[in-house]
Amino acid sequence: MPIAILMFLLFLPAQSWAGWLWGQSEDAEVQVQVTEPYVSWRTGPATGYPVFHTSEKGEWLTILQRKTSWIKVTDSRGREGWIAVSDIAQTVDATGNRVDLQVPDFDAFANRRVEAGLMMGEFDGAAVTAGYGGFWMTRNLSAELWASQILGSASEIRMVNANLVHQPFPDWRVSPFFTLGVGHIWVDPKATLARPEERDNSIGHAGLGIRAYITDRYFIRAEVKDYKVFTTRSTNEEATEWKIGLSIFF
Amino acid sequence: MENRTKHLFLKPLCLGAGLCVAAAAQAQDDRPLIEPDVTPVPVTEALIDTENVEIGAFVGVINIEDFESSLLYGGKLTYHLSESFFFEAGVGFAKGGETSFEKLAGNVEVLTDSERDYSYYNINLGYNVLPGEAFLTENYAFNTNFYLIAGAGATDFAGDTRFTLNAGAGYQVLLTDSVAVHIGVRQHYYRIDVLGAEKTSMNTEVSTGLSVFF
Repeated sequence: MPIAILMFLLFLPAQSWAGWLWGQSEDAEVQVQVTEPYVSWRTGPATGYPVFHTSEKGEWLTILQRKTSWIKVTDSRGREGWIAVSDIAQTVDATGNRVDLQVPDFDAFANRRVEAGLMMGEFDGAAVTAGYGGFWMTRNLSAELWASQILGSASEIRMVNANLVHQPFPDWRVSPFFTLGVGHIWVDPKATLARPEERDNSIGHAGLGIRAYITDRYFIRAEVKDYKVFTTRSTNEEATEWKIGLSIFF
Repeated sequence: MENRTKHLFLKPLCLGAGLCVAAAAQAQDDRPLIEPDVTPVPVTEALIDTENVEIGAFVGVINIEDFESSLLYGGKLTYHLSESFFFEAGVGFAKGGETSFEKLAGNVEVLTDSERDYSYYNINLGYNVLPGEAFLTENYAFNTNFYLIAGAGATDFAGDTRFTLNAGAGYQVLLTDSVAVHIGVRQHYYRIDVLGAEKTSMNTEVSTGLSVFF
């Protein structure tokens, strides 16, 4: 079974090299003209690679592909190299308009629609790993879905949550937020315990946290949440969780 | 006389030719000689093939503490955030062997066969510390990256799922812009109490893999 999943995942990007395999021609050439005095070409998509060539004002470049914030181009003499997206943004296309390529910045962060991230921390003394996705309905309000795995010395807990997040100051670079949500928890005690007993409960939570924009398309997120576990017994249980992680936005 | 005849014929010829050239020059100045038959394409984000996601499979050896070394295989999905940072999610599968005690004592089984199935998942943050080029010949080079990577996840072994930290390093050689070969070492740490007292189990993984960008 794992092999089958692996094979499936491996062939998922088949369409990206099917064209190469069957000799299918590429779509229309994407050409831009340099308007800056010059743009530098590097041998690879990072500032660590050396500059080996430059294109001067007026030269036409064909865009081949993009990796993070680097664009692979070729010129009329067939040379290939990588130039920074910020350099391409200062070129014009065949219609004479400036090329509008996104270089994610703080403005893009303030107007994001979707965000997703991975976080780690502690849930009532046990290690927690969580992933989430969120959709912004307004600049202040978003809805999120969470999946968490909590691995303690006595049990394994899986948890899903849906919550609303309110951020009062969307224009701040470091912006606090409040959250409120509900979810479900599954507790699976360790096999080495004397009397393992599985159980599942509904939960509710409230929390507060902070987002800090770093650069490009990513930001740091940290939060503290207080969970109430609604048990069938006479008292409910409580747990406090803190997490920190890295998120990306689109 | 001869001169006069020449003059008579040459004068209109020169005039005529001059007019023709002038007319041709006038016709040329605002229309191009060859009309391009392609319509200009405005460049937008959607036209550019963005390859920030990498998917791959790997095979290697993992040393499961107390349970011998075994063949390990798995897959990983990488998202490149920037030229330096990347997120990686990985899964791996192996099968634990026998403890020395089981071998010496003969008829003893610490774990059942299904409990020896070893699998892990992890989510990691990687950092390309040394981007570089490896020269095959004088004029042909592969782009390479030496990266450090660390993260957390879980290991499913001996009937339980355990919180697992991992850290390591890898070397990536890009055969083309879309295909890469990886060689890596990774150390996995988790707490286990299968053989009595709880202790930290250190599992060393050495693997090699192939990945494609899309």
